Amino acid sequence: MSNGTRKRPSPPFQPSPGPQPKIQAFSQEEELADEDLFRDETLICEDEESLILRDIEQRQTLASRLAKWTRPPLSSEYLSQSRSIIFQQLEIDYVIGESHKELLPNSSGQAAIIRIFGVTKEGHSVCCNVHGFEPYFYISCPPGMGPDDISRFHQILEGRMREANRNSNVPKFVRRIEMVQRRSIMYYQQQSSHTFLRIVVALPTMVTSCRGILDRGIQIDGIGMKSFMTYESNVLFALRFMIDCNIVGGNWIEVPAGKYKTEKSLSYCQLEFDCLYSELISHAPEGEFSKMAPFRILSFDIECAGRKGQFPEPTHDPVIQIANLVTLQGEDQPFIRNVMTLKLCSPIVGVDVMSFDTEREVLLAWRNFIRDVDPDIIIGYNICKFDLPYLIERAETLKISEFPILGRIRNSRVRVKDTTFSSRQYGTRESKEVTVEGRVQFDLLQVVQRDYKLSSYSLNSVSAHFLSEQKEDVHHSIISDLQNGNAETRRRLAVYCLKDAYLPQRLLDKLMFVYNYVEMARVTGVPISFLLSRGQSIKVLSQLLRKAKQKNLVIPNVKQAGSEQGTYEGATVLEARAGFYEKPIATLDFASLYPSIMMAYNLCYCTLVTPEDVHKFNLPPESVNKTPSGETFVKSNLQKGILPEILEELLAARKRAKADLKEAKDPLEKAVLDGRQLALKVSANSVYGFTGATVAQLPCIEISSSVTSYGRQMIEHTKKLVEDKFTTFNGYVHNAEVIYGDTDSVMVQFGVSSVKEAMELGREAAEYISGTFIKPIKLEFEKVYYPYLLISKKRYAGLFWTKPDNFDKMDTKGIETVRRDNCLLVKNLVNNCLHKILIDRDIPGAVQYVKSAISDLLMNRMDLSLLVITKGLTKTGDDYEVKAAHVELAERMRKRDAATAPNVGDRVPYVIIKAAKGAKAYERSEDPIYVLENNIPIDPQYYLENQISKPILRIFEPILKNASKELLHGSHTRSISISTPSNSGIMRFAKKQLTCIGCKALLSNRDRTLCSHCKGREAELYCKTVAQVSELEMLFGRLWTQCQECQGSLHQDVLCTSRDCPIFYRRKKAQKDMAEAKLQLDRWNF
Amino acid sequence: METMEIDSEKNLVRQQCAYYSLDEAFGIQKETYRGQQYSQIYFARLHLMRTLLYSLVSNWKPHLPVCRVLALEQGKECIIVGTLYKHMKLKPCILDEYSKERSATPLVQPHNFMHADDHLVLEDESGRVKLGGNILSLLDVLQETEAGEFLVQDFLEAGLPPQIKLPLISTGDKYVVFVSGLSIGSDNCNPLQVQLLIDHITGHLGDEKEQSIASQIVHVVIAGNSIEIPCGLLNGQNLASKDLSRLSEPIKELDILLSQIAAGLPLDIMPGPGDPANFSLPQQPLHRCLFPGSSAYNTFRSCTNPHLFELDKISFLGTSGQNIDDLEKYSEAKDKLEFMERTLRWRHLAPTAPNTLGCYPYTDRDPFFIESCPHVYFVGNQDKFATRVVKGSEGQLVRLISIPKFSETGVAVTLNLRDLECHALSFGTQLSS
Repeated sequence: MSNGTRKRPSPPFQPSPGPQPKIQAFSQEEELADEDLFRDETLICEDEESLILRDIEQRQTLASRLAKWTRPPLSSEYLSQSRSIIFQQLEIDYVIGESHKELLPNSSGQAAIIRIFGVTKEGHSVCCNVHGFEPYFYISCPPGMGPDDISRFHQILEGRMREANRNSNVPKFVRRIEMVQRRSIMYYQQQSSHTFLRIVVALPTMVTSCRGILDRGIQIDGIGMKSFMTYESNVLFALRFMIDCNIVGGNWIEVPAGKYKTEKSLSYCQLEFDCLYSELISHAPEGEFSKMAPFRILSFDIECAGRKGQFPEPTHDPVIQIANLVTLQGEDQPFIRNVMTLKLCSPIVGVDVMSFDTEREVLLAWRNFIRDVDPDIIIGYNICKFDLPYLIERAETLKISEFPILGRIRNSRVRVKDTTFSSRQYGTRESKEVTVEGRVQFDLLQVVQRDYKLSSYSLNSVSAHFLSEQKEDVHHSIISDLQNGNAETRRRLAVYCLKDAYLPQRLLDKLMFVYNYVEMARVTGVPISFLLSRGQSIKVLSQLLRKAKQKNLVIPNVKQAGSEQGTYEGATVLEARAGFYEKPIATLDFASLYPSIMMAYNLCYCTLVTPEDVHKFNLPPESVNKTPSGETFVKSNLQKGILPEILEELLAARKRAKADLKEAKDPLEKAVLDGRQLALKVSANSVYGFTGATVAQLPCIEISSSVTSYGRQMIEHTKKLVEDKFTTFNGYVHNAEVIYGDTDSVMVQFGVSSVKEAMELGREAAEYISGTFIKPIKLEFEKVYYPYLLISKKRYAGLFWTKPDNFDKMDTKGIETVRRDNCLLVKNLVNNCLHKILIDRDIPGAVQYVKSAISDLLMNRMDLSLLVITKGLTKTGDDYEVKAAHVELAERMRKRDAATAPNVGDRVPYVIIKAAKGAKAYERSEDPIYVLENNIPIDPQYYLENQISKPILRIFEPILKNASKELLHGSHTRSISISTPSNSGIMRFAKKQLTCIGCKALLSNRDRTLCSHCKGREAELYCKTVAQVSELEMLFGRLWTQCQECQGSLHQDVLCTSRDCPIFYRRKKAQKDMAEAKLQLDRWNF
Repeated sequence: METMEIDSEKNLVRQQCAYYSLDEAFGIQKETYRGQQYSQIYFARLHLMRTLLYSLVSNWKPHLPVCRVLALEQGKECIIVGTLYKHMKLKPCILDEYSKERSATPLVQPHNFMHADDHLVLEDESGRVKLGGNILSLLDVLQETEAGEFLVQDFLEAGLPPQIKLPLISTGDKYVVFVSGLSIGSDNCNPLQVQLLIDHITGHLGDEKEQSIASQIVHVVIAGNSIEIPCGLLNGQNLASKDLSRLSEPIKELDILLSQIAAGLPLDIMPGPGDPANFSLPQQPLHRCLFPGSSAYNTFRSCTNPHLFELDKISFLGTSGQNIDDLEKYSEAKDKLEFMERTLRWRHLAPTAPNTLGCYPYTDRDPFFIESCPHVYFVGNQDKFATRVVKGSEGQLVRLISIPKFSETGVAVTLNLRDLECHALSFGTQLSS
């Protein structure tokens, strides 16, 4: 990230040809502090532009089709500029340009121009260029520095800046230095303010470079070499602007009539204008302004014709289809559905099919489509990592220089940049960044990965999970065949492609992502794009900066001392008394424990008293709190903390949103409010994390360790109070017992046997104990678990009751149900056992169930799809240090058939098969299809020992005495049946001879079905055979018709090879078993 | 074998009639599962129907163009022939087995899966389209609406197939007895009732008059579910030998009963959903080894389900009830006979196969297509006895019979071959004291 030479964003505002200014990018120490708005733009020279024009003319027909899709025309009021423009902004960035002569008559040269993109409520697109906002930061003023010293200091700094930025021809680097009264947010201070210097620089990137100079130290006459602590020098420019103008992400902005000027048209937006930053009116998202503008959301998907056995690469493989759906925010059906195909494609009902002869035309048609439809939000599945970069790199390969003009700025090309996103919470991800100016990219894959923990993130399993729909999956080796077929096969592909474009839209709607993310942006005040591209901390920082600004506080740019600042003791967990509780267990929860603690004890950066200051200030003991971890914080009468204030506001706002939600009738309004209360809750909870994260903007271990120490104390306190008060001694029927306690909840067994009584006691306890805490810490009674299976710390299951009459659901925690590397059998077993134990209250039934499942496994009667384990292939075999089962298998499959073998990026499904003694686990993995086709025996012992045993024993140990002996070694494990592989060496020498269906005795040549011994039992044996056939036929019918349904066609063969689909292997197996069973049945035709 | 030997002056002689089996089309002897899917049977069906319907279109709406789903244009009227598919929200789905909320699935299977949100889709080889407007059948006049939905203005169904004229000559009353759902081995089964039925058929019951009627019974058809194997016996994987014998107990019993009938007159036995036969349609004849006693008679015929045969040139078509029961789950009609009538008009015996009704994946034909109109169309294992005559536009006359389950109602059905009149034959064992 650092020390690289990068092209500066070239100003699109001066379309004069000639050398673009290049400035050395400064070395940057912190990734997070990096200004993110480098725009690589190159201008298109004149003749290229005319080429595009001609290109458009040639496609008049297409253009007229596209014209239908353009935005509604501007009304005369807009055209005459007689009305104010009110719009909801979605994206804010900035460019470097010549400063506006009319709006800013006093300045000249280059300046940062903020661009705000948005939509009016009529659906017009808006591009607002904001002028006059200057980048700045603070340093503390050395004592004794007067106005004269400052002007000298200014000169020195200017000189140093010029030295560091030799390539830049900016007339003045440091615009001005002002003396202001501020206070640092860090530590409790007795003076109300100090003198700070506000350094205003010419361009946003200079903040970093200037900070570097000041950090390293600067020689000042009279004072000598001095290095400065900088304040708020790591705030991104766009965020700085938003904070200072009170703009939050996704809110409505008004520019009054007469205050804006429209002259140039540099973007494709309908309304483009220039104005001063002071003229913007930012509306708080309330009432009328809490609504959503009718954004245009484009969902798209591309198909590429890969070569056999290889994942498509943009340098070789053509883009053959692009499917698009455009939906207006708030409507449930897309108003545009189309697909662009390479070569002729048969029509699809309700879809505009556009076929082209060359790939160039396909790509350009899509580019034109984007320009005409002008989407505000672009969504899709894995578009950021695959679809968008692929299109751009493909256009580069084909030398279509005019393709990547996808943003809203005319003549500005989109480029692909490799980025790494790293966050403690989400881990490090490599990805490609494609910046499409003015349009928000919302990749559903990234969002789902962020917000949900799932066992697989393929589009198929994600839509199965959220929409309960299976998706047809066409293997990429077939895609080329379909493309090379005829118009019909390409149509088939187009239908598939459309579905892939439709599912992200459905997911977006179903999971309310637009509402939730816009609300999150509004609550935290960051642009929507930050929510996806950045971690948690920016959200808290944004709120902190806003609050600090109100209070005249400034936030230091803390140098991160090393990677780890040391860790602190986390949350406490009371010892779990494992067992199966058949009496109701009341659960007492602390409502938003950590935020409450911070509020109750006024924990903040600005209330923390350093150990030295404790003595120095000599604070009276009644106005400080000493936390259990030994820190000292002042109480709110001396200094109200900022964090508690932010939290109070968030929680109050949440209360309000929830109340409004109850009142609201309109479903769209409800969606907004629900999104808001969720965002507020998440935000309140992330404040604690912000102070504790070691690699963050402003870590403060003193705060976070105090929070957890109070938390621990409270759990212990609660336990003690409950067990002291609810005793037979105090007149209660039973002695209460705390059986378990986690971070913010305590589980109590009051000893009563009905849910109702437990609820009453729970309420009483919650009220009693709450009274002993400082407000707003509150213990709430919410639920009763009955029955409750407590396995160990953080692992439990129980039925969840909030009303005395029926239970709400089955609640499980920490029990293997979603782990990726488990086979489906484990998940089913665990779920069914819990169901039997908790809901049916049938422990013998559960035991029987496990036994029969184990017996099925050993007797080779298990449905293979339950045994499939799936792992992602992230690197090729050589790159793995340790041999892994799925990697080895991928290698072996490549040798068998390179075309269908999994590639890097694919998920590899496998089963563990029986092999020679001593074979390593990784040698025993096999492709499930291969196993099915060749009757290869699976290894039941592996599944028993490595997959089933642990999770099952965990559940049964609290219930059964000899769980392991009973379940895993009982008589049901005695008989084992292993199928004979049809391809093994020895079988080639075997002579096949019919055996009796009844007793397996070898048959003499005359008999074909039964031996003479079994002749009398014909009827019963036939019944058995035919019953098997009958069962298989039923399964066959149900499975294959389901697949027809899923693919959406009855008259075409099912092609789907989705290995994520639970019935894929079953379907294959049913087909094969059916053929075998039919042969068996035919033997009866004597 | 002996007819009825009664010490009366007049010896009654059992009437005879000519029997001709047409079950060949439903046999699956040579067909095998080789990995074929269900698309081919749909294709074959569509092909048959299209040829048929195209010939009708010229008389129906000659001014309209006939086209494929893909060639539809907005605002233009046209005719499309295609397979109707009903999207149903409540239709059970095998994927539900894998859904997370196991407890959410209702324990009792609903009788009918209809829901207000269901909608129809018309599909041909080229594509599918959602239907709107006045809907119900196999051929539709459509006009494209804005939303890519197609407005059905009118529809044409294939109508009753052509019928061979009823033979005129008829010497007198001849009866065919239909019975279904004997359920030997179930708790409902009343052995005395079954024995009464058999005694009646074989003429061992009643006075001379009744015996003379019995002597006019020329044929017996058992339309499915003759045996009920105690549930759960076949699910278990390892059967103990005593279970095995319990399994074959009802079969032996049935064999004894059937041999009594077969000794007297011809008997057709069709497999039903509960019998030891394969599951998917067409169900293959019950294996002869199940009936060592009765299969010795040449009057005993084990048949397929559906079953197609002729008696004295009168053609009979019938099933053990799966086709009609399945229709009932996914659509509505005022009674079972109406469902039966619909299948005739659609010229398809099992319109819901293979989608919700299991059937063999044929590759080159659709045996359920009704080529010629039967004179008698019966369906077994229904709740109650009902009958009606349906008239076709070309003078076809079809007798519809819904045969009730004998074990529950004690009712069998007789049909007079002379005039195709139909009566219930009720056996009671309740002695009123």
